[in-house]
Amino acid sequence: MATYDFIFDSLNLRDWCDSHGGEGGPMTMAQLLGQSSGEETTVSAWDTPFPSLDALHDACAAVPRSRDLTTGLEEGFMTIKDSLKVVVDPLTQPLSWALNDALWLMQAVPWWIMIPLLMLISWLVGRSFKIVGLLALTFGFLAFVDYYDYTMQTLAIIFVCAFICVLFGVPIGIAMSRSDRFQRFMIPVLDMLQTLPPFVYLIPLIFLFSVTEPKLYGIAIILYAMVPVVRLTDLGIRLVDKDVIEAADAFGMTNRQKLFGVQIPLALPNIMAGVNQTIMMSLAMVVIASLVSAPGLGVLVLRGIRSLELGVGLLSGLGIVLLAIVLDRVTKAALARINASQPR
Amino acid sequence: MIDPNEPQEIKISIRNLYKIFGANPKMALEHVRAGMGKTELLAEHDHVLGLNDINIDMPTGRTTVIMGLSGSGKSTLIRHLNRLIEPTSGQVLVDGDDILGYNQRELRQLRKHRMSMVFQKFALMPHRTVLQNAGLAPAVEGQRESAYADEARKWLDRVGLEGQGALYPHQLSGGMQQRVGIARALTSNSDVMLMDEAFSALDPLIRTDMQNLLIELQGELQKTIVFITHDLDEALKLADHLVILKDGFTVQQGEPQHILLNPADPYIEDFVSDINRARVLRTRSVMKRGGDPSVEVAGEVDHDDNLESVIEMSGGDTTKLYRVTKNGEHIGLLQMRDLVRALVPQGGSDDPEAARRAG
Repeated sequence: MATYDFIFDSLNLRDWCDSHGGEGGPMTMAQLLGQSSGEETTVSAWDTPFPSLDALHDACAAVPRSRDLTTGLEEGFMTIKDSLKVVVDPLTQPLSWALNDALWLMQAVPWWIMIPLLMLISWLVGRSFKIVGLLALTFGFLAFVDYYDYTMQTLAIIFVCAFICVLFGVPIGIAMSRSDRFQRFMIPVLDMLQTLPPFVYLIPLIFLFSVTEPKLYGIAIILYAMVPVVRLTDLGIRLVDKDVIEAADAFGMTNRQKLFGVQIPLALPNIMAGVNQTIMMSLAMVVIASLVSAPGLGVLVLRGIRSLELGVGLLSGLGIVLLAIVLDRVTKAALARINASQPR
Repeated sequence: MIDPNEPQEIKISIRNLYKIFGANPKMALEHVRAGMGKTELLAEHDHVLGLNDINIDMPTGRTTVIMGLSGSGKSTLIRHLNRLIEPTSGQVLVDGDDILGYNQRELRQLRKHRMSMVFQKFALMPHRTVLQNAGLAPAVEGQRESAYADEARKWLDRVGLEGQGALYPHQLSGGMQQRVGIARALTSNSDVMLMDEAFSALDPLIRTDMQNLLIELQGELQKTIVFITHDLDEALKLADHLVILKDGFTVQQGEPQHILLNPADPYIEDFVSDINRARVLRTRSVMKRGGDPSVEVAGEVDHDDNLESVIEMSGGDTTKLYRVTKNGEHIGLLQMRDLVRALVPQGGSDDPEAARRAG
């Protein structure tokens, strides 16, 4: 006898239960255990189960079990999958191309061009010899321990994904700053993207795309890493001094002039802080994305876990940390230069 | 200072202007027109009465000062002149055109070419140099820095910022930043300058400097200036035409000397009781017009001299008689006794404290 029989009995639903209840598929683990122990369990008031799907199913076979719910979700996703794919696949195809090309390019250029080139870029962005030195040391070390290719793969993925994040994130942030309604709509979406465990992104994506396609991890990284740049662009533009905006209006600026001549330049420190965070988060995600075939240092970490190669795991972990420090310092130096040019 | 008898051209006129803040201003406007006051409107309908039936004519080439305490609606009023705030009802005529009928493009033209504005908190662009800030108006027009640099530099030099064009605003002190604000307004070459409490954020000595600078510039350029202030001394120093606002309506407007000698209601009496009348009043306001040009006098004074200078000249002797001249010609006689009487508020009460209590 199940705990909740009385509900269905008192509502006169017993017939409906019996007529609709199929055999209900395979038994649940609890039923199996109950069967094997062979005794009829009597439930005390203390142990009354929550009226969950499974507990109600015990009383009335017509109520679905919780695993029917998850199966239903899965089947639902599978039925829309094909039509979704028709739309999403071509839209995201350029991402695959970009990732493939960037991966090819970063590995094809020989190290004696690539490392000086990266040093030059960091000099142009940060104007600091310390940071250029740090970068040279980091890449020198990673190349010395034969992780150069892995590092370049990671870097290529980060560059492409961070670029796309900024490309879409800044306009979305600007739109949010201009429309309160759009902001109210976007904030829960951003909250969700930020709080969903990174692994959860991967699950539906695996079903949508084949695991061999780079866009699979590209999309996961972009969704996860785009949030800060969107938020900080919105915030930065909203924080621009109202008096300055009023002055811009009083001298007859058009909305476009205001946006590009006043709001974006004054929001730039915040936007750059967002870019910094976006790069950091794409680095975090690119490691997790190695689960779905993203190349790079994450693969080594994964190897360390899978085959218990402690040394490989530690060394690649250290490499990721170094890479993170370099990326952070370079973008922070750029941010500091912007801040120095316009303190309030 | 102007002679109130001269006919004046009107540059800006405001007609029956109302501004009500709230969810349904049109509904509230009906109540206000029916005679509801500010406090009742707020209590019963939850709308704030910003401006209540404002009518002002601002003469061309003169300084109109709008004075009032905080919350009197003066900053709201000045923002109607270039439509940074839209009115609930009324007309704003600039050169005879109702600017409330302007579309966005016409409005931008008005703001670029015909009106410029100076702000209380300076509102300079922090990411642009002083020169680029001064040249904001031509830059908005699409001119390159090299094209407007000469004009902008000319005005920066004029307001006393020679050679500082390459600095950023944060490198300047408050007074200097406001000089940039004034240069920015002058570079736009507009006839009308709106100044919203332009000197209120500055400390007193620098404020006096800036007032003198403005008077000097105004002597040269004869712009139509609309100046907002809460400081009566500043208002009297700068105004050709003075408008006093209280709770969103005009209490009194006219020539400042006239307001000082004939305050229309206790609110204004209260205001004017505290100022240094000897410095503000001019001989023409207290003299007897006409009189016998051949009578024996102790000396000559100009019609625009303030009473302080006459007292100094007379050495405190109240029996003396002075000839008042304008451009060297006799226009009236000034009895020292009249002068001393005018120094006390409310037409000759002997006890200034009594007058203050009465106000």
